[in-house]
Order: sequence, then C-alpha cells, then structure tokens
Amino acid sequence: MTDVILEARGITKRFAGVTAVDRLDLTIGSGEVHCLVGENGAGKSTMIKMISGQYVPDEGELRLFGRPVHFRGPLDARDAGISVIHQELQLVPQLSIAENIVLGRWPKRAGAVDFEKARSIARSILPSIGLHLSVDTKIEDLSTGQQQLVEIARALSVQSRLLVLDEPTASLSNAEADRLLELVKELRGRGLGILYVSHRLEEVFQLGDTVTVVRDGKHVGTRPIGELDQARVVAMMVGDQRSLQVTQDRKPGPTILKVEGLTRYGIFSDISLEVRRGEIVGLAGLIGAGRTDVARCVFGVETPDEGRIEVDGREVEIRSPRAAIDLGIALVPEDRKTQGVILIGSVTDNLALSAHDKISRGGWVSRKAETSLVAGYIKKLRIRAPSPRHPVETLSGGNQQKVVLARWLATGPRLMVLDEPTRGVDVGAKAEIHRVIEELVREGLGVLLISSELPELMAMSDRVYVMRAGRIAAELSGSEINEETIMKHAAGATH
Amino acid sequence: MSLIADNAPARRGSGRVKVLISRLGLLLVIVLFMIIMSFMSPVFLTVANFKNLFIQSTILAVLALGQTYVIMTRGIDLSIGGTMALSSALCIGLTLYSGVPVPLALLIAVLVGAGVGFLNGFSVTKIGITPLIVTLATLSIARGATFVYTNGANITPVPDAIAAFGRGQLFGIPYSVILLVVLAIGCHAVLTRSIFGRSVYATGGNELASRLAGIPTNRIIITTYVISGLMAAIAGLILTARLESAGPRAGVGIELTVIAACVIGGTSLFGGAGSIGGTMLGVALISLVSNAINLLGVPPAWDDLVKGLVIFVAAVVDVYRRKYARS
Repeated sequence: MTDVILEARGITKRFAGVTAVDRLDLTIGSGEVHCLVGENGAGKSTMIKMISGQYVPDEGELRLFGRPVHFRGPLDARDAGISVIHQELQLVPQLSIAENIVLGRWPKRAGAVDFEKARSIARSILPSIGLHLSVDTKIEDLSTGQQQLVEIARALSVQSRLLVLDEPTASLSNAEADRLLELVKELRGRGLGILYVSHRLEEVFQLGDTVTVVRDGKHVGTRPIGELDQARVVAMMVGDQRSLQVTQDRKPGPTILKVEGLTRYGIFSDISLEVRRGEIVGLAGLIGAGRTDVARCVFGVETPDEGRIEVDGREVEIRSPRAAIDLGIALVPEDRKTQGVILIGSVTDNLALSAHDKISRGGWVSRKAETSLVAGYIKKLRIRAPSPRHPVETLSGGNQQKVVLARWLATGPRLMVLDEPTRGVDVGAKAEIHRVIEELVREGLGVLLISSELPELMAMSDRVYVMRAGRIAAELSGSEINEETIMKHAAGATH
Repeated sequence: MSLIADNAPARRGSGRVKVLISRLGLLLVIVLFMIIMSFMSPVFLTVANFKNLFIQSTILAVLALGQTYVIMTRGIDLSIGGTMALSSALCIGLTLYSGVPVPLALLIAVLVGAGVGFLNGFSVTKIGITPLIVTLATLSIARGATFVYTNGANITPVPDAIAAFGRGQLFGIPYSVILLVVLAIGCHAVLTRSIFGRSVYATGGNELASRLAGIPTNRIIITTYVISGLMAAIAGLILTARLESAGPRAGVGIELTVIAACVIGGTSLFGGAGSIGGTMLGVALISLVSNAINLLGVPPAWDDLVKGLVIFVAAVVDVYRRKYARS
C-alpha cells in the first residue's frame, strides 16, 4: 500500500432532509482491497454513487491522486480512472464480448467502427482475467459470473486505477465467486485500488486489507483487517451483537409434501423428497443444479413431465400458482426485485396481494380489513416502513423481503418454499427473518429452504437434500449436515 | 378518498404532500388555461359553452376510461376508433336493413366491442403478439369491416329511440354526459376498490411477481382489453346518437388523442400507475384546447398543430413534475 489513489474527506449527502451519508472519510491506496460494509440502507450505495460521479456530494472533498476532483457524471469518473461494477450488470446482452468492452469508445477507422481493432483489444484483456472464450460470443450466452468478468475487462480496458465492486458475488455460484475473489487478489497485485462492498463477511476476511464500517450513514470505524474478527465487524455494523445461530429441537409431524420421481426433461430428473410439518428441509446444490426449477414445479409455475406430487397424502396436480396457494403452498422467489415485489406498489398493495379472500367480499376490497391485516403483519414481522402507503422500493432489501414473507403468511400456508430468502439482506434483517421462520416452524409450518449460503442452510435445516446436475445426490441429516459433506455431494468431488 | 388521490403516479415520491403537488400540477394548468381563456373570449365562461365542451369531450372521455385500464397493464389499444365505427354501424345497419329490434341491436353492438377487445387481449397474452401490432391490426380489420358493411357510406336515419338519447337531457344535462359520469365513477370504483382493480395495478407494476403471487395475470390483461372494447362500442353509440348517423369514418385518428389524454393524466406507459381522475383531467385539458381554438376563431386547419403542441408541452411539464416529486 504505497500511494493513495482516492481520498474522501467529510463526504455528506442529503436527500429531502434525510442524511444518507454523514461526513464519511475513506482512503484507498494502490494495491489495497478496501472493504466497505454496513447494513442495507447504511449509505454504502450512496457513497459509491458519489465516488463514481452519479451523485454530487453536498459537502466534503474528493481527491484523486492528491488533486481535488468534481465529477459531473459517471463518464467523468471513468475517464479519471474509476470504474464501478454494479450489482445489475451494465452490458448489452445482444452484443458480443468485444463490442461490449469497447461500448461507447468504439475504435474507429475512416469514420466507421473498426471491429478488428475492437476484437484485438478484447483479446488482449480476456486471458488476464481468466476468461477463455471467443470475443465474438454474445453476452446473453454467458453465465452471470462470466458477464461480470466482461465488465471487469471493460474497466481494465480504460486503464482504471480504482475498481469499485458492489456486491459482486451476490448472484454467483460458489465456484464462480471463488474465481472472482482470486481475480480481485490478482488485480490488487497489479496495483489497482479496490473498493469492495459485500454482505458476505467471509469474503471480506478472505480478501480485505482494510475494513470501513458504516451505520446510518455515519463512519463507525476503519481498521486493518488484522485487528478485526467477524463478530467484531457484525457488532460494529448492527451496534450490538446478534447471533445468526438458530436453536433446533424440533419434532416434525405428518408429511405435508411428498414428491416422487419428479422430472422435467433436460432440467432435472427423478426428484423424490418429503417435507413434514414443523421441520425445515434444506435443498443444497450449486447454482444450475435445478433447485429453483424443482421449487417452481411444486408451486405450479412449471409443469413437470413425469412424477407425482402429494399434498397431505393426496395426489394433486398443481397447474398454477393460484392452485398451489389454494393447497396451502407459498413460494418466496429467488429474485426479490423481479419476482418478489411490485417495486412501485405500496407496502399495503404488496402485502395484501395474495390474501384477497381475507380482505374482500364479493370482489370488493374492505379497507378496514386490509388496513388491519397489513398493520398486524408489519408489527409481527417488525417491518420498518415510513408508512404502509409508501412504495416498497423505498424500503431496504431486508424489509422488502419481510413484506414478501408477510404476504405469504397472510395466505395461511402450511408449506413454504423459500428460495434464497436472505440474499442481499443485511445481517440484522437476516437474523429477524430467521427468527420469523423459526417461529412459524414451531407453529407447525413445513419449510423447504433453498440457499446458497451454507452456514444458513446448515444452521436452519433438520434435513438436507443435496442436488447435483438435476438429481438428488444425497439426503443428509444430523451430524452429516456439514460443509464438507454437502460440498462433496454438490460438486461431485471432495472439496 | 378523493377521486384523484390514491395510487397516484407520484408513488415514487415521499408522502402525500408531494402526491398532492404532482396531482395539482395538471389541475393548475387547467385552471390557468381557463382564466386566460375567460379574458380572451367573452363566451368562454358561459353555460352554453361549457355544455358544448362537455358534449364534445364525452366520446374522448369514455374511450379514455377503457384505455386507462389497458395502459395500466403496460398495454396499448389502438383499435378503439375502428371498434367504435364497427359496433355503431352494425347497430344501426341491423335495425335498418335486417329489422333487428333496437335493444337487441344495442346488445350486439356492445358485444362486438367486447369481442374485439377479447381478441386483442387473447392475442397479447396467449399468442404473445405485441399490443401495438395486435391492436393496429384489429383497428384496420374493424374499420375495414365497417367499410365493407356500409359500402363506404353513412347509414341514416337512426332509430328514434337512439336519436332521442342523443338529444335528450335531464335537468339540462345531456344523457350522454350523465352516462359518462356514471361510467367514470364505476371505473374509478372498480380500479381502486375491487380485487380486479388491485390486480390491474399489480400486473402492470410487475407481471411476473404478480403471477407468482397467484394473480391470474393473463385473465386480468384480457379483461382490460375487453373493457376498452366495451367503452369503444359505447362511445361509438353515443356519437351515432348525436350525429343521427353511423359511418365507417367515425373516430378516425382518435386513439392517439385518447392515449395522450391518459398519459397527460398520469397513467404510466410503463404500467402500474394511473387513475381515472387523472385521465379525466387529461381529457379536460385536451378538450379545453380544442374549445379555445374554436372560440378564438383559429382556422380549423390549425387544430391538429395546436393540439399536438399542447400535448407535447403538457408531457414535458409532466416529466419535470415527476422528477420534482421523486427528488
């Protein structure tokens, strides 16, 4: 860590009277991985947006290589050497890797785009980030992890000195995430400064040189990684220590869901599993193993080609989500923003979406019934929203997810399928979501839990099915539920 | 709840004050326009002129009611002009040439409107054609069918009962205006108070999430097109009753004005946001402009040009108003 790349002093940003970032200091040096951690809504995203020129700070000073800078937009920041890899990737899916890398800065010859030059630029960068694909491959044919590498390649192609990574592993499989972490380490070795924003503390400790914790927009502290451990960071983030560990002494009841030989050609085959009342059954596996597809079949979004589904001992055919709901099945889908919530809808709209029979008579909504239903769940799940009339998009990720959970609870389900229920959710909200699930299971709910976060899966589940390449590779219980065993079956090798 | 609050387009803003400001924006423009007009034209602020204004805007307003539903689900219905012409020509033609009794002919006209709407909705959801293309096709089909059926000529005279409706008044208020008010209140109530209305907002806001939440999104979308078709048929009948003739050229080009009224009124082309109250304000603004052009003696040739400019300015104002509401 020799020369300082970026220095931020007393950065402050207010929105309509609310201070999102309050006198934040941040110094990132060359060859340093600086981790920015904090709960959702702590001000990390706002800070990134100021560093990358999307927002102009109200107060404070940004210095790049010692010189004060005032970015008028993201292009300014990029030209100055700052590139941001956002959670939502900014690539054009229909174009090739090469075209995306030179997007907006097309090399020209005689007034036309020089595609040969573009390809050679791309070809010169791809190997250095470990992407061994033809530069003519279309982005839409790549996995999320590969797409992310293309974004990084684009950042490198403009000679960026500071790379900002915003939750880069959130939508990656474990293997892809590992590869990305390796790449980040290598980029650090090349002298880049890296600002790394992540919820996954394991990554922070694997990768970081320095950690800055923010809470409610304020700077809690900046420490070298050596002076910290996970518990300490969590404490700094939430203000007090909260345990992620969930106690288990459950007594499962009769079987609610029984799936036998379920098959969808080309996606998964011969899936048999069982979920009983009052237990949590984990579904482990790498991304692409077919876990989500099984969940979608159980919920009637997709129709299986073979096999049978029994609910409460009776064979059923589930042709639509509505049919599943009527059978007492709920699904918290994997991608909250596109599948879970209606972002522009109010908390009330979102929460009461599936429980129409409880708030209406003869097709007409009873405002009284609706208000009391919504108020009840806001209290029960401790949903933090300015008011039930506020759009869900103004809530933090954790609270959005609680709204989705509440929506399903309002339908009175007996079986809940939770697909990545705490993805992109901060530590505090995560613990609360775990607490709610735990409580519901104690009341007799059966849960099928899909999670790529092994610690979560291991802590919550009574039994775990491990899927690999569309098949169930193992059923584990008790002491077999440990990281080594799960990964061994999931990856098909000792891990 | 007032007619124009609730689920308003300023949903991105924070709190009711901003909702109010963004709502008042359009109302303010309308009031300002009326004040200016009252100075520029002595007849503007007369009962006769306002009665005229209401009559003129009824057709537009009825069509906009249905269109609001469709746009709310991210759709668009260009076929309404054709549906108008087809259903009204069929109604009059059947009574005149085929001896069908008036009530049955009215029923058939309305069913034809609903049928075109169903065809639109079915093609959009089950076949998967873009709304723009589907309704462009059905616009042409419906109008073309009317030309074939009428041989390109107007059908006249209309049955007495229908003509009577066109001329009739209750306490000095034309029947058609009363019908509009009833329809508007009904559409507003359904949109804000019914499960169907909630489902329309949800489906437009995020179709996938709504489907996963158990909402029959395809059925909801089809229903919005059926409503739009129904409204088109009703608008066609109102026009026929007033003109005392039906013809293949009824409502040519009206769909664009209708869509403009909805969007000016705050219905989002991206779906999930809008209100009947807003749409009615949009209709009011566009109708006021036409009225002004009339009163100020601007040559009719200027009509489209001025109207287009006003729509453009209103849209620009709207964008800035929303940006303010969001900031």
